[in-house]
Amino acid sequence: MLEESVNLLSNNQNPDGGWGAVAGKRSNTEATALALLALNSLAGGSDGSVVQRAKRWLIDNQNPDGSWPLSGATKGPSWCTALAIIALSELTDQKDRFVKAGNWALEQEGSKPGILANLIRALSFQKKAVRLNEDLIGWSWTPNTFSWVEPTSYFLLALKKIRSYLPAKTFHERVEQGELLIYDRMCDNGGWNYGNAAVYGETLWPYPDVTAIALIALQDRRDRKENQLSIRVLIEMLQNTDSGLALGWSLVCLSLYGQDDSALKKRLEQRFAKTKFLGETKALALGILAVGNGMRYFRI
Amino acid sequence: MNRREFLKASAAACVYPLLGGCEQTDRWEKAAYIKAKASRVAILAAERYGNGLRETLIRGIRLFRLDLAGKRVVLKPNLVEFDPKGVINTNPAMIEAAIDSFKSLGAREVVVAEGPGHRRDNEYLLGASGLYDVIREHRVRYVDLNTDDVRLTKLKSSFTNLTQLYLPQTLYDADLLVSMPKLKTHHWAGVTLSLKNMFGVVPGSVYGWPKNALHWAGINGSIVDINSSLPIPRFAIVDGIVGMEGNGPLQGQEKKSGVVVLGDDLVAVDATAARLMTIEPRQVRYLAAAGEFLGNIGYEQIEQIGENLQRHQQDFRVIEEFAHLKKLI
Repeated sequence: MLEESVNLLSNNQNPDGGWGAVAGKRSNTEATALALLALNSLAGGSDGSVVQRAKRWLIDNQNPDGSWPLSGATKGPSWCTALAIIALSELTDQKDRFVKAGNWALEQEGSKPGILANLIRALSFQKKAVRLNEDLIGWSWTPNTFSWVEPTSYFLLALKKIRSYLPAKTFHERVEQGELLIYDRMCDNGGWNYGNAAVYGETLWPYPDVTAIALIALQDRRDRKENQLSIRVLIEMLQNTDSGLALGWSLVCLSLYGQDDSALKKRLEQRFAKTKFLGETKALALGILAVGNGMRYFRI
Repeated sequence: MNRREFLKASAAACVYPLLGGCEQTDRWEKAAYIKAKASRVAILAAERYGNGLRETLIRGIRLFRLDLAGKRVVLKPNLVEFDPKGVINTNPAMIEAAIDSFKSLGAREVVVAEGPGHRRDNEYLLGASGLYDVIREHRVRYVDLNTDDVRLTKLKSSFTNLTQLYLPQTLYDADLLVSMPKLKTHHWAGVTLSLKNMFGVVPGSVYGWPKNALHWAGINGSIVDINSSLPIPRFAIVDGIVGMEGNGPLQGQEKKSGVVVLGDDLVAVDATAARLMTIEPRQVRYLAAAGEFLGNIGYEQIEQIGENLQRHQQDFRVIEEFAHLKKLI
């Protein structure tokens, strides 16, 4: 699987050095950051020029404020900045870039519902539809909107990886809030979905990919009962989930938590043989990271 | 009006200007929308998802005399989430029948495209829902609208404070967009039908999972602004063979209705589908707003060209917050 997926990924690189979500699509920061990590993880196993061109794409596409856009087609900063930080954080010659991005990330805050929205809810006697602490602040998908689990997890992981370069007080404040937010959004029996545990009193179910990403971001809290519970839930969910994305993120996560993952690796390979992960760049990259030696990039 | 209703109305009065309710003519480009005096909607009986569904759809589509020869048709089902015990999504058999129908009616290409609102894992959603096998068997392209290339699109109405949205390139490359929702109630919007289904075309990679930027801007206003601004002709096929009542769109209960609703005026299709659920379309805020300029909502303006509406009407339960949807106007 490794050789075939590396070839597939390399062949899908766009002439500008980046990757789109699938072959033929415009290069974007998420796909390029994950592909760069995947190909970089193969000691001598990938074409150096592919990696160099990927690095160049990330460097060329950083915004002046330190953030990264989603792609060349969208203006302004995006949540993908966290993945670009992770991809560049191991490259000491890119320190200025990822530190600038880290400082930008520390300034970004998800929004809270305004006074008007709260007043209307109170006046109309509406039941609170969702059960979450709206005062906790993490990171949002798009500026000036609510905080959600996946972008908060990416930013926590990115910031924790480069913490020694960041102002300590701000780092601790933001990380503490972000972690509180993730624990607050945990599903009733462990694990995470996009960020709602219940709607109108009915519980919602967790997703394996988001659970794995959240657990990776919280790996330095592995002894907490929520982490232990969620690891068990993740393993249970994986019994009924076959996809490159879910298995890839889960393998990275379970490896970081010291769990036996050999059976899952086999399933990942079987899945690749069947679907080629629909040719999705991020799933191909995660597959390479999972079966290769890529989990070190996600270690805090 | 009791105190509770009065306060609700007062709160709505505070908020409605934000959604667009006061200066109606300032909310859309008047010259850009010329509403037909009447619309046609077909309700077709379909008891199950098996044999005969393709023929039913072909019969229904033919009623609208669509020019499909050589055209690229994009089918946009509802694949927001998956629950093995639930009936959340447009049934894959309905999508399969639509692929077959449009191909046999002359379409050059049929594409299935969706931007799931909650999950990012397409491979899981397609596999678990059964759509993966359909797509493979019929050799059609599936496009993840969440990560498609995007084009900045100016909004043609202003029921939110959004002025532009990034929309998927796939819409610009198509000749016809077919909204294929499930017949469902919805805990934020009242009902989710062919207009609300268009939330799925808004790319998650830009606006997040869930499509929170739209909720933040106002769910009712966003539905109207998206539908007023899509750059492509539309058609609707509502999967009402088995619908969902109660706490939809995810956690409601199955409701067998045995119908498919089709039409080229999505407002009229949704108004009819709402009536099939014994829901008053004028009480659904986004439908009421859309009925002002995008299409016909009035019972008298909609010609039923299939089955009798009353014969197939069922009482779909709604959550307490939407009890007012049951009050006929």
